[in-house]
Amino acid sequence: MRLEIESIDIKDIQAGSKTYGKGGVLYINLKELEELILRDPRIKSVEINLVYPGDKVRILNILDVIQPRCKIDKVGADFPGFIGKMQIAGSGRTRSLRGVAIIVSNPCTNRKENALLDMAGPIAEMSPYGKMRNVIIAPTIAADVKERDFEDAARIAGLKAAIYLARGAEGNPVSEVEVYDLDIPNLDKKSNLPRMACYYQLYSPQFDYLAISDPCFYGTHATHMMPTILHPNEVLDGGVVGWLAIKALDTYSIQNHGVIKELYRHHGRDLIFVGVVCAVANVEPVPRARGACMAANLLKNVLGADGVILMKILGGMPHIDLALTGEECEKVGVKTAIFTQPLTSFGTLADTILFNAQSLDLIITSSATFERTKIPWKPEKFLGGSAQTRIFCPDPITQYAGDPVIDIEEYLLPGVLDCTGSAKVIVKEY
Amino acid sequence: MAEKKLRVVHYLNQFFGQVGGEEKATAGFVVKEGPVGPGLALQKGLGDRAEIVATVICGDDFFAGNPDKNAEEGLKLVASYQPDLFFAGPAFAGGRYGVACGAMCKAVNGELGIPVITGMYEENPGMDIYRKYAFICKAPNSARGMAEVIGNMTRLAFRLISSEKETRILTQENLPKPEEYNYFSRNLLRNAYCDKSIAERAVEKLVAKLQGKPFESEVNPPRFEKVPPPAPIKDPSKCEIALISDGGLVPKGNPDGLATRSNLKWGAYDIEAIFHEYEVAHAGYFNDHVLARPERLVPFDVMRDLVKEGKIGKLHRTFFSTSGNCTVSKRCGEMGEEMGAEIKKRDVDAAILTST
Repeated sequence: MRLEIESIDIKDIQAGSKTYGKGGVLYINLKELEELILRDPRIKSVEINLVYPGDKVRILNILDVIQPRCKIDKVGADFPGFIGKMQIAGSGRTRSLRGVAIIVSNPCTNRKENALLDMAGPIAEMSPYGKMRNVIIAPTIAADVKERDFEDAARIAGLKAAIYLARGAEGNPVSEVEVYDLDIPNLDKKSNLPRMACYYQLYSPQFDYLAISDPCFYGTHATHMMPTILHPNEVLDGGVVGWLAIKALDTYSIQNHGVIKELYRHHGRDLIFVGVVCAVANVEPVPRARGACMAANLLKNVLGADGVILMKILGGMPHIDLALTGEECEKVGVKTAIFTQPLTSFGTLADTILFNAQSLDLIITSSATFERTKIPWKPEKFLGGSAQTRIFCPDPITQYAGDPVIDIEEYLLPGVLDCTGSAKVIVKEY
Repeated sequence: MAEKKLRVVHYLNQFFGQVGGEEKATAGFVVKEGPVGPGLALQKGLGDRAEIVATVICGDDFFAGNPDKNAEEGLKLVASYQPDLFFAGPAFAGGRYGVACGAMCKAVNGELGIPVITGMYEENPGMDIYRKYAFICKAPNSARGMAEVIGNMTRLAFRLISSEKETRILTQENLPKPEEYNYFSRNLLRNAYCDKSIAERAVEKLVAKLQGKPFESEVNPPRFEKVPPPAPIKDPSKCEIALISDGGLVPKGNPDGLATRSNLKWGAYDIEAIFHEYEVAHAGYFNDHVLARPERLVPFDVMRDLVKEGKIGKLHRTFFSTSGNCTVSKRCGEMGEEMGAEIKKRDVDAAILTST
């Protein structure tokens, strides 16, 4: 399977009478984009704003962040299953815009734990999205639509906007072409290089809002999915998207999946990349054991992996699930590097490990997701909410978006931490 | 205008405070104006920016007799000088002295909120007890390393009183790097910026592991002890049984302020009352089912039926509750011991623990 991602660097975005790109500037017909979004009857109205680095704007209730992308050589192949009919993602040519992101905000949410981004101040410093030009899409819910259906509609609106922008940029000079070409059935079997895979925990149902799972896999939810082999390109090219809430993960980060891209960089050099096994974190012990054994078997006896990077989704329970999978891998002779996310900021690193397995001897800290940080910054404008929007804190304190200082957990700051491994962050004892 | 000189108080034991040797270890507190003994080197290191206004001295045995009470006593003496900075020791390998330095630092920082700095050898028992309350510079096991430790302590002190942010950690707090300032980490974990991404480190290290080369894990996990279950109770119909849960069920209003994540507290509540007015303080699971029927977290209804049927003697009227979500295991163990001690006082024969 071969995927070419043709990146166009966007230096500026501006509202225009039609959508087109010229000289690195993307002009956007906001009216046309609005009409496109309002075709979904679950959405009553939508507010679209363009924001720029340095703007004293706080974007609230963020549901997802998406990189503008579209297929160049295929019809109806963008985010398959989510938009249009099912087909396999990951082959052909894809246009991708750099320096610009779609940020979907849900001002109608009743969730308690919501994400936010500032376009200036400390958060903008921390997050790559704070340094981009962003299109903020804040739809409102139509009458009689259920909250979870609306969340789905809001994300679909974001995906449509991502396609719309990428299509609009046609004709701009391509800044870079990345080729992701991996012919898994015909990999160099004679190579002496170690065969390496990635175990990708893509969802955990433990946080299921209103007891409904988020669609994140080819248009459906994945809660009952057995461990499944994916071609890595399926992940990079829209087969998998983020949750309907930011949890140190969003669609943008999946489109630029850290571990998959890194394994590609090393492929043929010091390892052979043999593919991805994806799975969900199980909440019950019996399915957990089943999933762990199945995943280890797929890695060992189907992909023929010598080593696997076990990646973790947010939460404590996925930590245990991942460890059991790791133990099964080591048992059958697949060597592991396992991610951990310390769940607290107190104690030593050793205190934060929830498993007791000597075979898991290579542990990578993929950030302390629940670390709290105080943000002393006063926005002048709020999008997707107001100065009175409640900001979540695990301590029983009440705080609002307009307070001079907010105390927030970093997993709610999109782009700052990243479960796919792109963040240049490590956890240290202080 | 010249910067205001910082006021410093220094704590020493009887030996370094020049009261006397081991024979004076039982001596109580004395205060001397200005620097004493190692304080002279400390004053030299502090230069013109800070002045040791007083040295508080106490005998090691005296202090060790009741560290908490004596720390309180010492704190009063320290506070009367209104210091901006507090130093203790260094204590090197001195066990009683280390505990005294640590206890003084804890009391002073807790009450006055000023930076507190001491120095100890890594095996000094005071180090592990007080590392989270004080900045403890690494020291050798004998006083021969005095000059170097004092140098480190002053360097760290100046860093702490500066308003410098630590730009290498995400929270940007003024938290100097332990390796750079040669102090024992204080049981805090921080996300720090790194030259390499998580993915880059993972692939690089796993390649090394597969090649049979040395590799370094970013965490070296502890090996947990196995806890054997106690003997079962013989006749439940004669037993009083308590209910415990870590699912975060608390009385409405969360009177003890249990945190929904990384909680360190537990509460004891009347079981009848809590089922009338309650809420859930736990962000690790979807709360709606428990909010609708708290009996599914804490089996109050089933237990009441079993009591009625005579299968269980009595249901204890206090329910013990905590919120177990991302709490480090060490603290969970402590809470278990605390709850256990409380339950033992109450003539309860057994407890049922339910979780999420």
